[in-house]
Amino acid sequence: MTGVATSSPPALVEIRDLVLEAATPRGTAHILRGVSLDIGRGRILGVVGESGSGKSSLASCLLKLLPSNMTRLTGSVRFDGTDLLPLPEGQMREWRGQRIAMIFQDPMTALNPLFTVATHLVDVLRRRHGDITRAQALERARAALVSVGIADADLRLQAYPHELSGGMRQRVMIAMALLVEPDLLLADEPTTALDATVEAQIVDLLDQLRRKLSGSIVFISHHLGLVAQLCDDVCVMYGGTVVETGPVDEVLAAPLHPYTRALLACEIEAHDEGGRLVSIPGEVQDPVAPHVACVFAPRCSHALDACRAGVPALRDLGGMRKVACIRAEEFA
Amino acid sequence: MTAATPVSDPVSMYRGPSALAPATPPLVSMRGVSVVFGGAVRALDDVSLEIVRGDIVGLVGESGSGKTTLCRVLVGLTQASGGTVDVDGTPVASQLTGDALAFRRKVQMLLQDAVASLSPRMTIGRALREPITIHDLPQGEALQRLDQILRRLGLPADVLQKFPHQISGGQARRVGVARALVMQPQLIVADEPTAGLDVSVQGELLNLLLDLQQEFGLTYLLVSHNLNVIRRVSQRTAVMYLGQIVEEAPTRQLFDKPAHPYAAALLSTNPAIDPQRRHRRIVLQGEIPSVVNPPSGCRFHTRCPVAQSRCSTDAPALAEIGPGRQVRCHFPYSLDPQR
Amino acid sequence: MRGLAATFATLRKVGGSLTGAVGLVIVALVLSCALFAPWLATHNPDALDVMNRFSPPSGAHWLGTDQLGRDLYSRMVHGASVAMLVALSSIAMALTLGLALGILAAYLPARSERIVLIVFDVIASFPSLVLALAVVAVFGPSTLIVVIVVAVTLVPHFGRVARSQVLTLKSAPFLEAEKILGASWPRIVFFHVMPNILGPLVILASMDIPVVITIEAGLSFLGLGVRPPLASWGSLIQDGYQYLSDSWVPVVVSSVALGVATLGFTLFGEALRDAVDPRIGREHG
Repeated sequence: MTGVATSSPPALVEIRDLVLEAATPRGTAHILRGVSLDIGRGRILGVVGESGSGKSSLASCLLKLLPSNMTRLTGSVRFDGTDLLPLPEGQMREWRGQRIAMIFQDPMTALNPLFTVATHLVDVLRRRHGDITRAQALERARAALVSVGIADADLRLQAYPHELSGGMRQRVMIAMALLVEPDLLLADEPTTALDATVEAQIVDLLDQLRRKLSGSIVFISHHLGLVAQLCDDVCVMYGGTVVETGPVDEVLAAPLHPYTRALLACEIEAHDEGGRLVSIPGEVQDPVAPHVACVFAPRCSHALDACRAGVPALRDLGGMRKVACIRAEEFA
Repeated sequence: MTAATPVSDPVSMYRGPSALAPATPPLVSMRGVSVVFGGAVRALDDVSLEIVRGDIVGLVGESGSGKTTLCRVLVGLTQASGGTVDVDGTPVASQLTGDALAFRRKVQMLLQDAVASLSPRMTIGRALREPITIHDLPQGEALQRLDQILRRLGLPADVLQKFPHQISGGQARRVGVARALVMQPQLIVADEPTAGLDVSVQGELLNLLLDLQQEFGLTYLLVSHNLNVIRRVSQRTAVMYLGQIVEEAPTRQLFDKPAHPYAAALLSTNPAIDPQRRHRRIVLQGEIPSVVNPPSGCRFHTRCPVAQSRCSTDAPALAEIGPGRQVRCHFPYSLDPQR
Repeated sequence: MRGLAATFATLRKVGGSLTGAVGLVIVALVLSCALFAPWLATHNPDALDVMNRFSPPSGAHWLGTDQLGRDLYSRMVHGASVAMLVALSSIAMALTLGLALGILAAYLPARSERIVLIVFDVIASFPSLVLALAVVAVFGPSTLIVVIVVAVTLVPHFGRVARSQVLTLKSAPFLEAEKILGASWPRIVFFHVMPNILGPLVILASMDIPVVITIEAGLSFLGLGVRPPLASWGSLIQDGYQYLSDSWVPVVVSSVALGVATLGFTLFGEALRDAVDPRIGREHG
């Protein structure tokens, strides 16, 4: 198995060479160009990337909620040994209700405006535990709301989504996800749409909950600071590929991939003094363009001809760190 | 600030790069401005703010803070229900009834959604010529200026034939800037100029805005939820909560030692990447109250970690607690660097 | 230039579906008949030839003749011009007036707006045919009356849609941006509001064409529409119906013409709507 030290337990999820393509009027879009990734057991993995990185599509693939114009999905997604990709939809539904849960960016569109909070939570419980009674479900729903910091839980149970604030709705979503008692929790930019002080509350909540949660979490975000604070490992994505992975503090303190280095240089840190702000020139490669070279090469200040000649493999550099760059050693 | 400026001189310490004598009137002077919608919603309450010519003033606040309303009052889209708003020495209201077009040339705005701020069925070229037509600017000179601006902003010539939905967010932003610059404004209100932009490209836009400030002698009011941007770019910052300014100070001082409990909490929400620099977050309890029914007394008292009984009955006024620093609080945090 | 290219692209889309293609062909046919009637017709539609009344279809008269010996084919072709004249002029009138009132209603203060809406409701509550009958009964039949009455009954329809379009648009950022630039209200309405609401209205208008054709035919059938010798399909049907025992050809020919034209415009209108924005007109049925 690539990159996993014999002393650490096998990963919960092993993604290998995941390719996702979709049909667009301008041609085939390569959304994921061969993604390989491990999600450790009981660990929080942060997936960072900018527009076009494919990070949200990766989450959708894990749940197999695929776009209608999808034309190709190859590779393997081994969840505790079982490859999810070939599973029929019926079986996949079981997985979604019982072993994988997701929190979305916009809780308003994820919650059904016609149903109360209680209905949402009871529905989740019923799917998870087929034989639970309504009374038992309501009790557990109530407890779940309390555990995510909602004070007057009884009142909120009867509320409709539009009667709740953004932060409250997000808490309900987290409660719903927790009730699934998932082995894997996916959070796609869960705080991006929230006000800063509310975001701090939710981040605080997630920080507390992660200790109680036995499963793994995948936290997708474009906010490096948040990822640094909350996550154990980080996976940096660019243009549909994984460019670097590793323990979060190490990767952010000593990045090895030119994109990660450039991205960090662009971040405006609090201690910055004057001088010009850094940006990465150029644009992300058109997803319709074929994948025959390093995706970042056109914008990389360290690109060589070799970089444009072939796709760099995600190489194991020891210490759980992997980088997809032929010149990675030079930056160590 | 030049090296020769003595640190103990409070006035020049916060005046920013274009250090002017205190006698020069500020470009913008808002005093006790309030905006009430429908007789009930106090979107702005007793807002006082000054913007010195050549400065960049940052405005931060969450939902319901009133920062959008403040911007709209400044550009003349919303009328103030009370208080005075002076731009370039004259009240906005009288400028709008007098030579309205002259006022429009003075104060421009960059809207948050850059693509949506462009008329969808008009080509970019036509959109850029709108200000020339509206203000009857001398064609030759204005078109030449437009051409220069486009080149300065790095917009390719073929963008003129495109429609708003065909250009990227970054390009749309630059088109918005070009459209504003054609009129040679004095003040630009920038509403979330980096929102929606990837981190890897926001630096370019900010550098551009800073360069333009020097080249065209612009003054900015910068609204952003990105505290790093505000801190890096603005000379002074005002923090708003539920329609009021709760603290206003030179940016560096504000970020180093916020005095208002809300400002302290808000500024602490931004986690740093470097674990060494990560400070303890202040996590507030409760939700942001609705603007329709704000709390009595100090509007922040329901979530304030240091609120006392006085705070629920007695609304604090904006008071000066240091040179160029104002706070609206009965019990502000100490400015003592030791604490 | 973009308008032309976009129009052709839309027409191609319309022709893409079977119903759209059929509609497109029929509309083209009817419009050609309407525009080129004098050249497409074989005879003068008013030329009497009583000796040859009710003659069956032949080489001389492709569809035969009516009770006065007039060539049915030519009368049918000219009937297309009458239908198109009434339909297009009344809809154009209604569209213009409805657009103006709708925009006004969207910008007026609440009380004045309510008055406009009440006027709309009052007009809309009259079935157009009944209103037409009433007006014609008072003023006597004439093409102009028909056009005006039909136009008036359609005004609320366009007016309401125009108003709701403007209301949706009012909070659009680009309108605010134009205000900040200093654009005057007339400028904003003409250059920024109208171009963005015209699209759905034009499509609604095209979907109303078959309705107006039918109304005009109905009035003419009752003798309350266009005056003879102008040949409307409706009056052709009336004539044919009167002399049904003498020949079934006139009734069938004119009914088929009316039916095909109405069907064609309906198919075209719906295909056009689907090609541009399937959401238009659903609420209006």
